Amino acid sequence: MMTPQWRRYLRFWRPDVRADVDDEFAFHMQERVDDLMARGMDENAARQEALRLFGDMTGARRECVEEALQLETEMRRLEVLDVLKQDAVYALRLMRAHPTFTAAIMLTLALGIGATTAVFSVVNAVLLRPLPYRDADRIVLLAETFRGGRGSASGGHFNDWTTQSRSLETTSIWQPRTINLTEGEPERLRAARVTPSFFNVLYVRPALGRYFLPEENADSRVTVLSHPLWVTRFSADSSILGRQVRLSGEPHTVVGVAPASFTMTEFDERLWTPFAIAAAQTTNYGAHMFTVFGKLKAGATIEQAQADLATITEGIRQLVPDEMNERGVQVVAYRELLVDTIDTQLWVLLGAVTFVLLIGCGNVISLLLARATSRRKEIAIRGALGGVRARLVRQLLTESLLMAIAGGLAGMVVATLGIRFLVGLGPGGVPRLDDAGLSWEVLGFATAATLLCGIVFGLVPAFRATRVDLQSELRDGGRGSRGVIRDRVRGTLIVAEVAVALVLLVSAGLLLRSAYLLQRVELGFDPGNMTMMRVALPAVRYDSADAVQTGLARILEQVRAVPGVQVAAAGTRVPMWGGSIDIGVRVDGRPFNPKDLLIGHVRLVTDQYFETIGIPITRGRSLQPGDLVAGAPSVIVVNETFARRTFGSDDPIGKRISGWTRDTLPEWREIVGVSGDVRAFGREVESPPEIYMPMTQPPDGAWQSYNRSMTFVARTRPGFPVATSMRAALRNVDAELAAYDVQTMENVLAQSTAVRRFNTMLLSALGLTGLLLAAIGIYGVIAFFVSQRTHEIGVRMALGASSRSVVGLVVRHAAVLALIGIVAGGVAAWWATTALTGMLFEIDARDPIAFVLGAAVLLGVALGAAWIPARRASRVPPITALTESL
Amino acid sequence: MKNELLHGTLEVMILKTLSWGRMHGYGIGRWIMEQGGEALRIEEGSLYPALYRLEHKGLIDAEWGLSEKNRKAKYYRLTAKGRRVLASNVTTWTDFATAVGRVLASANAPARA
Repeated sequence: MMTPQWRRYLRFWRPDVRADVDDEFAFHMQERVDDLMARGMDENAARQEALRLFGDMTGARRECVEEALQLETEMRRLEVLDVLKQDAVYALRLMRAHPTFTAAIMLTLALGIGATTAVFSVVNAVLLRPLPYRDADRIVLLAETFRGGRGSASGGHFNDWTTQSRSLETTSIWQPRTINLTEGEPERLRAARVTPSFFNVLYVRPALGRYFLPEENADSRVTVLSHPLWVTRFSADSSILGRQVRLSGEPHTVVGVAPASFTMTEFDERLWTPFAIAAAQTTNYGAHMFTVFGKLKAGATIEQAQADLATITEGIRQLVPDEMNERGVQVVAYRELLVDTIDTQLWVLLGAVTFVLLIGCGNVISLLLARATSRRKEIAIRGALGGVRARLVRQLLTESLLMAIAGGLAGMVVATLGIRFLVGLGPGGVPRLDDAGLSWEVLGFATAATLLCGIVFGLVPAFRATRVDLQSELRDGGRGSRGVIRDRVRGTLIVAEVAVALVLLVSAGLLLRSAYLLQRVELGFDPGNMTMMRVALPAVRYDSADAVQTGLARILEQVRAVPGVQVAAAGTRVPMWGGSIDIGVRVDGRPFNPKDLLIGHVRLVTDQYFETIGIPITRGRSLQPGDLVAGAPSVIVVNETFARRTFGSDDPIGKRISGWTRDTLPEWREIVGVSGDVRAFGREVESPPEIYMPMTQPPDGAWQSYNRSMTFVARTRPGFPVATSMRAALRNVDAELAAYDVQTMENVLAQSTAVRRFNTMLLSALGLTGLLLAAIGIYGVIAFFVSQRTHEIGVRMALGASSRSVVGLVVRHAAVLALIGIVAGGVAAWWATTALTGMLFEIDARDPIAFVLGAAVLLGVALGAAWIPARRASRVPPITALTESL
Repeated sequence: MKNELLHGTLEVMILKTLSWGRMHGYGIGRWIMEQGGEALRIEEGSLYPALYRLEHKGLIDAEWGLSEKNRKAKYYRLTAKGRRVLASNVTTWTDFATAVGRVLASANAPARA
């Protein structure tokens, strides 16, 4: 046994090996000197002789110290392992002896840690991870603003920003388009036209080949594919480079493939083609059609770039004041663009799930406290036998860490399922959501959470339990003292759990109310049984407005012939689905003020458009087939909002308006009808002012702006799926045409509310879970309190108290705690729910109804949870209560 | 005698010395030289690295105590493992010595090939 050796080292925190060796050598020298002197040498001679006899003292000393240090390190390591093993074995034995208890704790932890890890994984993938691009934090979007809203830039702006800016290293243009890819089955794809510098701004090493060279443009007929397209359409063929693909009828050569990590914008383009901005466009400040991405110079900040570009834009304003009314410039970080409002929602989600975890942890602590209490006797005995308090704490800590680790490991299974759930059910359009998984950062988070839980679980009960008064414990035979009622730790647990649960409930309540209010908003049209198909005609064969209109008319004819279709029409935009073109408007008979433009959102439509979509005509008439004939007078239909804003309460029928262009004469169009308002951008957004023009009377250049595309809408008999037939109808007209996006209106509606529904659903689920856990926690603690007061209850009842008053006593105690928790939670919620503001519709983040409702539900549940053990206590016969010993 | 030869056997001799009971380093050195005589004279300092090696291997134990003259000294004693190692080494040595002795004392000439 090595024990005596180690007592020697009580001198220092670390044994001083060198001093010991020196001491030993010193002793040897003293003895040798004594012997030599005994043989007659004098002291000095003896010392010299002793040194000579010893030999190489430095070498010997070094060897001894080395050996001793190695030995010491090994011994210490062994001791630590030994102690840990002891603790762990004991802990495991304890866990196996109380399987339900252990299972309850591990389950709570597994669910809590698992759910939190799953959400964190999503947060990490979407928000926290750095973007894959080189110098990603220098990538910015340069946008023109109009009346505060962000929009596309004109060629002139782009040119001036590029040539005059001092804070930008590169600029590039990105333009969305759709093209037909004819490789076997024709497919309509989203694509983008970019200046070659685009891939300098957003650069990740290509998976194959190269990006565009600076001199390449639209004539070069080259293309770069996106990774998903390469995989799905070309089977990840590694010999794709140099192959020719037909894009809208024109052969292009594939020169590169972007890597999988190249995050698309929301547009999710599948391939890129190069283009160069035309010389004429560099001085055009009026046509705003370019999306501009740029890269800041190293060291430049966004604020500097903003100021820089604002100065340049001022210069433009001096040059062409008429074009620049209410227009400005905005520089936005690319990262911000990607996450938009998602980040708030994700953080809120993470907060909510952490709250649930906290409530779960509260319950676990409560359980452990109960167990520590019941182990008082065991702990007292160990204390009496000389166990140091630190050693006992370490034992309890080992137990709780083991349980936490077991729970955490099980939690990883829950996390995997949770991630799959979130990614699968998650609304589309969340960038990089698919990357969520158990990466190193996520595992690190889970480990940290587990260890933190384990430590807290260990420390709280451990310190409470070891503060035990040994004598009184052993004497009492383990019975609790009366002071337990004022058990502050347990009381605090209830208060804390109630507070956190209230925050969750209020949040869920706000979202639910918001969703309800939203549902009640009238859409303005009838979304049932509506199938829609988007078609774009390629420029190659449909270059003139006439060709486009004829082609679209023929397609409409075919669609109307599809069996099952009751009415069909087409429009360049359909409510809830697609962007808009807006124009400034002037009214015949009114002085024109370019500084104060009226705006209308323009649609080109066919006859029967309103009937198909279900929009009522409130005044005048709808568009008739006669309006679409060539040479027919220019007519339009406007909606109520437009009529109100432009004409007030005057009857707009018969009045004439025109779109405004600077250089040409106005084209007057007569208003023949007024349609009902439609929530074209979703229930949350007010109806915009709309102008419906017959498709045969487009404003100049409209078809280019609309990309020669239209949406065909068919109202069908219920239960009659027409999607395939509509696609086939399209091919009857032109075999190379392909529809992109065939959807029912109901799908589109569902998608538009997908994010909101997802959030509401999750937060409600979390709120409910939190409530349930808090209820369990309250039940447990009150049951414990009651068990501690059994004696007192017995006395009271023996002295004549009714069972109702006993119940009242216990429930009142619980009510006090719950109320304190509700007040605390209310304050916390008051502060916290402002985070939800962006997610709410028409109610304030501090809506009193949600608060009151949440508090009422929580109080009710808390009282209910307390009532059960209280009732049970009141049923115990007094004699049992009096003689019961714990 | 050369110190290299003694190096390995020194450890065995220390073990043997301690088989009589606990002793401090100086005493071990003195006993070995008393028993072995001039032939086994070694640098006294080389004793201590050997002692520390033996302690590291777990063959001996160390403990601080007071000497006869009330000086602080480090005392060593044999562990159970050390006792076993000593026994097996003694056997090996004696067998070896007997075999060598037989060869050296042999009267038989080797057979001519």
